[in-house]
Amino acid sequence: MPEPTPFTSRRGLLFGAAAVSTGALLVGCTSNDSKDETSASDNQPAASDAPGKHVTIGFAGPQADHGWLNAINDNAKSRAKKYSDVSLEITEGSNDTAQQIGQIETLINKKVDVLVVLPADGKALTQVGLKAMRAGIPVVNLDRIFNSPQAYRCWIGGDNYGMGLNAGTYIGEQLKDTKNARVIELAGLDNLELTKQRTQGFDDALKNYPNVKKVARQAAEFTVESGQAKMAQLLQAQSKFDALWNHDDDQGVGALRAIEQAGRDDFLMVGGAGALSAFQAIKQDNGVLKATVLYPPTMAASAIDLARALGQGKGVGGLAEFEIPASMTLYSAVVDKDNVDQYMSTGFR
Amino acid sequence: MAPEPPLLSMSGITKSFPGVRALDGVDLDVQAGEVHCLLGQNGAGKSTLIKVLSGAHQPDTGTIHWRGEPVTLRSPIAAMRLGIATIYQELDLVEHLSVAENVHLGHEPTAAGFVVRGKAAKASTAALLKRLGHPEIDPARLVGALSAAQQQIVSMARALSHDVRLIVMDEPSAALDPDEVDNLFRIVGDLTADGVAVVYISHRLEEIRRVGDRVTVLKDGRAVAGGLPAESTPTREVVALMTGRNVEYVFPDRPATQPQGTPVLEVQGLARDGEFEALDLSIQPGEIVGLAGLVGSGRSEILETIYGARKATAGQVRVDGRALRPGSVRAAVRAGLGLAPEERKAQALLMLESVTRNVSVSSMSRFSRAGWIDRGAELGAARAATRELSLRPDNPSVPIRTLSGGNQQKAVLARWLLRGCRVLLLDEPTRGVDVGARAELYAVIRRLADEGLAVLLVSSEVPEVLGLADRVLVLREGRVVHTAPARELDEHRVLDLVMEGSPAS
Amino acid sequence: MTQHASPPRDNTDKVPTVGQPPVWRGVFARADVRTLSLLGVLAVLILIGGITKPDEFLDTRNLQLVLTQASVIGVVTVGMTFVITSGGIDLSVGAIVALSSVWATTVATQEYGFAGILFTAVIVGVGCGLVNGLLIAYGGMVPFIATLAMLASARGLALQLTDGKTQIVTITSVLDLGERDAYVLGIPPLVMVFAVVTIIGWLILNRTTFGRRTVAVGGNAEAARLAGIDVRRQRLYLYLLSGLCCGIAAFLLIILAGSGQNTNGNLYELDAIAAAIIGGTLLSGGRGTITGSVLGVLIFTTITNIFALNNLQSDVQQIAKGAIIVAAVLVQRRTASTT
Repeated sequence: MPEPTPFTSRRGLLFGAAAVSTGALLVGCTSNDSKDETSASDNQPAASDAPGKHVTIGFAGPQADHGWLNAINDNAKSRAKKYSDVSLEITEGSNDTAQQIGQIETLINKKVDVLVVLPADGKALTQVGLKAMRAGIPVVNLDRIFNSPQAYRCWIGGDNYGMGLNAGTYIGEQLKDTKNARVIELAGLDNLELTKQRTQGFDDALKNYPNVKKVARQAAEFTVESGQAKMAQLLQAQSKFDALWNHDDDQGVGALRAIEQAGRDDFLMVGGAGALSAFQAIKQDNGVLKATVLYPPTMAASAIDLARALGQGKGVGGLAEFEIPASMTLYSAVVDKDNVDQYMSTGFR
Repeated sequence: MAPEPPLLSMSGITKSFPGVRALDGVDLDVQAGEVHCLLGQNGAGKSTLIKVLSGAHQPDTGTIHWRGEPVTLRSPIAAMRLGIATIYQELDLVEHLSVAENVHLGHEPTAAGFVVRGKAAKASTAALLKRLGHPEIDPARLVGALSAAQQQIVSMARALSHDVRLIVMDEPSAALDPDEVDNLFRIVGDLTADGVAVVYISHRLEEIRRVGDRVTVLKDGRAVAGGLPAESTPTREVVALMTGRNVEYVFPDRPATQPQGTPVLEVQGLARDGEFEALDLSIQPGEIVGLAGLVGSGRSEILETIYGARKATAGQVRVDGRALRPGSVRAAVRAGLGLAPEERKAQALLMLESVTRNVSVSSMSRFSRAGWIDRGAELGAARAATRELSLRPDNPSVPIRTLSGGNQQKAVLARWLLRGCRVLLLDEPTRGVDVGARAELYAVIRRLADEGLAVLLVSSEVPEVLGLADRVLVLREGRVVHTAPARELDEHRVLDLVMEGSPAS
Repeated sequence: MTQHASPPRDNTDKVPTVGQPPVWRGVFARADVRTLSLLGVLAVLILIGGITKPDEFLDTRNLQLVLTQASVIGVVTVGMTFVITSGGIDLSVGAIVALSSVWATTVATQEYGFAGILFTAVIVGVGCGLVNGLLIAYGGMVPFIATLAMLASARGLALQLTDGKTQIVTITSVLDLGERDAYVLGIPPLVMVFAVVTIIGWLILNRTTFGRRTVAVGGNAEAARLAGIDVRRQRLYLYLLSGLCCGIAAFLLIILAGSGQNTNGNLYELDAIAAAIIGGTLLSGGRGTITGSVLGVLIFTTITNIFALNNLQSDVQQIAKGAIIVAAVLVQRRTASTT
């Protein structure tokens, strides 16, 4: 089991006694050997599979213009479909704050039982979260956190700091015996806080390995195009290095393309998020990509589980608590050749 | 010398621009309460001088004294603070603001320092407009909805809204009808009676005689004569000073025999609702037909409709007996029509381009194969066409904007000459062309006619129409009221017709 | 950029062939000063790069890298230069690149292989340009609005086609063009396409009636109309041309990134406009320079390259990029006004 990171336990303290850093307790680590093509979450255990009271869940997310966000929508939809006692009201995804507020208000007016919200901008949507809570609709806040704990009943999301930390630790372990090891970082969109958190975790982990030094960092924009462009520059800048951490597997497609174009294979690469193409490359093990740290989109399926449990007034199976926890930070597992099969079905395109 | 120092005294003003010495030691004295006229050809330095006076340009050397005190006019605002206002030829009004807002732009009457007092602004604007003889202009109307003449009044009201001691008027009568010119002169008289000085710039000598007290003539950036008496200096002397030659307002001789034969341009029942009524007209090769009429009589509209730039509501235009597709400039050009429009800069010229490209723009296909331009052939043809019209400088590669108004007009004519056009439509061909260059332009037009072109001429200057055209159509409110050979008409007769509309007696 | 006047053919007898007059040289020198100042900026950048990172910057591979990275946006900028020269603007270039690149990389398209991808990319680009052109030239819409609408719809359509997923290209003949093995005499194929587009663009703008009409429409649309030019048809062609450039750029991007994604071409419109303006094309129309635009693109790409090589972060990069835009334009205006 993972150690609670400093980051998550701080949040746990902040949000009161009910907070539990559950790690991978609930989702994402059950064995899964099925090779079927349906979405990953279908075969994961629900909190309680037996049908109960009917629950209408409203789901509002941002525009799915990115593989990971698209996987969030897919996970939520197929998870809801699995339950005969759940009906899902899903809105057109939007990146426009005003539009998303309007969509959520519509869901409130429709009197859904529970809301699952992945805000385009967490801070900006706090008010509408509060409004739903005051209207007696419990809100499950997915990933991008609201400004106030009053605006949600339960937060579930990934651990950006932990992602960097685990990536750094993995790379540090791999390079333990390399003298003066050089590491570079291809970050995501630099004006997002989560990018800073990932970098912070990565740097903190590398501090534990005195022989490893981060020699360069460039920020791409989570797009294939920018990943290719920035990686090409990094490769030109650093004629020799031992490891690369790329924050995001989507931009990693571009990064791998640049590496291929430059004809380089003298280092190991660790990805981020958990795209299917990354899992496949890890499994084949014929390129530089050796591992990726998860930022699991299955969190959307878990959010549906939590929403259903909230709607039915149930707790979470496997825990002693009567109530659903107020906060749940997912574990960013490292997926490498040894355990990739287990995660293959959770990979997103 | 007067015991009191002059209101304004500029001495030894020089101003250079890259490659040009625009002002070369100009002196100018203006007394309070006088109308001081500035005369000079285009490029003589008038515009630069008034820009220095209004603070828009800083002189390289020279001193400016205002009421005996040396001053520096750092900016238009500084000049305005002293009491110098300028009404430019190109009106600088904001079309989407109301009359009152334009008049008070930049110095709105305010309460508590920032709240605009709209009512006060409107009231003071209304008072100003009344003083200017135009109480009918509503201060609340948008400036864009006003006529050009009304806009000029607004511009003047704006100048007067400051505590003004000296007003610079740059060609104020250019866009005005005779009665509006009368009103303008009345306003100038009122102003000078109050002790305000007026610096008046005009091409029209007769106006200067009527309104001016003294005349300063500029040539090539120098004041060749300062403070001449406006009324008594003979025209010949003034023109000689401006041009450095003795040029009369000469029109070329008409050919001995009137052209005969089939008309090249035939217009039948052409009309546009609200602009002009059914017009019949035919022009033979070699003939110049003039359209005389006031602003708003439909002159320019007729030309543009024949040309296809406006779509006729009725009637037909035929060239060599073939009807043109209405509303198609391209059809007109292909059939051999060419237009030299009224607003040369806005409607005819590509100001960033060379003379060559301005001349060749309508005949590009002649120098190109599969779209590929043979630039040697183009330059050669442009040079030949501009030489034929003695365009100066004799170098078609110079940018067109460096040319004088007259030579720019020649470039437009060269465009149609090169195109091989059969019918030339000339709208105010000498607007903005100085006196010395006009005679040359008249000669060019006549020569083109003699070579077989048909010319349809529009001008607001009656003597021009009478002097140049073979046959004249007099227009009044969109209707032809009289047609006669030019030699059977005189200026008074034509003015009577356009004012009264009475048919021939 | 030499200006050879081809010898006059038909009219040697009429026109005495005097030597080129000095004023002609003045006009030429003026244009040249603008280009020279851009080359100066580029030279300073190269100096900075060479001093700070001599080994990595002054390297054939780096030259190949910079030129490759410039190719995609460069081709877009050539099209944009035409549109701006005509007094228009095309805000939809980035979105068209995105739509072309995803349409050309759908599973269905990839079944048709290399030709299918190339054809689709170009046709989608031209199609979007056609819609832009019809709306602007014959629908009477302001270019800003029409292309803004195209921006929104093309991005939306691109998202719909991909469902937000990255479309990996599996056609090896396409992918191979982005590999080192495809370089001819050390020149990457992408750079060759960029060079060819640039040369053709320069010739069209400076040597053809199409270019003349473009400049005339931008300099004074009313004068162009009254001179007998079909202004509307010209506008239609210009947006078609811009769309075509976007389609070509999309194909280059597919080769470069080995995939199609709806986020492709992000903010290309701003980069292309900035490069054109820095190059000396008038935003108000009537004057355009392909040479300047391409130098503008190279300046931007070189800046990005130097920053990345020196491991400067994106905040510093953005600040410096803004400062360099202002500096380049100021330098140009000074040099242009003193001649």
